[in-house]
Amino acid sequence: MAIAEPHFASRVATEKEQVVNDEQQWVRKAQAADAQAFEALYRLHVGKVYGLCLRMTGNASEAEDCTQEAFIQAWRKLDKFRGDSSFGTWMHKVAVNSVLGRMRKSRREQDRLRLVAENAPQHASVGDGTGMRDLEQAIDELPSGARHVFVLQAVYGYTHEETGNMLGIATGTSKAQLHRARRMLAQQLETGSDET
Amino acid sequence: MNDGERDIIDDELMTRAGRLAQDIQPQSDLWPGIAEAIAKPPAVASWNRFIVQAAAVLLLVGGSSGLTYLAVTDDDRAASPVTQNPGLVFQPVSGSFGSQYTLGPGFKDAHSVLASQLEQEMQRLSPEARRNVHESLATIRTAIADINRALANEPDNALLQKLLLSSYQEELSVMRQVSEITGTVMFREDF
Repeated sequence: MAIAEPHFASRVATEKEQVVNDEQQWVRKAQAADAQAFEALYRLHVGKVYGLCLRMTGNASEAEDCTQEAFIQAWRKLDKFRGDSSFGTWMHKVAVNSVLGRMRKSRREQDRLRLVAENAPQHASVGDGTGMRDLEQAIDELPSGARHVFVLQAVYGYTHEETGNMLGIATGTSKAQLHRARRMLAQQLETGSDET
Repeated sequence: MNDGERDIIDDELMTRAGRLAQDIQPQSDLWPGIAEAIAKPPAVASWNRFIVQAAAVLLLVGGSSGLTYLAVTDDDRAASPVTQNPGLVFQPVSGSFGSQYTLGPGFKDAHSVLASQLEQEMQRLSPEARRNVHESLATIRTAIADINRALANEPDNALLQKLLLSSYQEELSVMRQVSEITGTVMFREDF
């Protein structure tokens, strides 16, 4: 007699629950200075942390540095993680701080913007056949304030309040920066569309 | 482009942004570098901070001396030497700043009394002396805040603990000097 396979959704939910339970155990162990548990947390979250750093900095090497720094800072501040938010959200906050801290310390951001401007193609090609310039490149070309807000909101789905908390700006500023980013991106996309 | 077309582009923009990958793996494994960093304490940052704090204390000593000089010059009279009050001591006990020390009740009481009297007594000083006191206290308090932040990362760093204690003592000393100097000024005005 064939055994009925569990319903797919229920199986996914069970696996998700298992991951959450594992994560909570790893956090507790890491808080007790268990480096192996912290490595497990790193493996689980490195993609999202690196992805955020990459989209915020627009530079792979810089993003790797920020990701490393974020996990090192997270290890040192693990005792401050109380579980009020998910570990992933907390890691994102640490990563945002890491990116902002590095940008404040160095002039690389200005250098990066200059390089992007110098290397930007005069007539950007259409990335997906819809007459719009490549969105990722367009995001990279945004000024840092607008880019950070747009990435956190439009790509990662954070609210204005969460974005403001992460970036240390007022909710109103977050709204204004998102509006600015959308307007600038729309203009860029419109330009790309006209040029093709 | 009219508003309708702009709205369409805007909506499409947000939709596409929401579809961008959130999870991107770095080209190389970053864990070995992280493992190496977390295996040792953040010594470099602490030493930098230590140097900054040492410089702050040096500034403070200069500020305190300047304050005494200005006050004495203003009144053509030597202030009485600052004496150490044996009651104002630090008592290392567990579980407060850093993970090792807290301020003793003697210090807290003295600090509270001196702080409440400070602004009133400052009015009796010359503007220059007053400015010096404010600058000295600001320097010390910034140093105390910085050291406390450093201790949050390294609660068992003995050098930082020692520096914190001496910074608190310096703060008390400056406030005590103000009190003694203005006491002298009051004494003269009585004549």
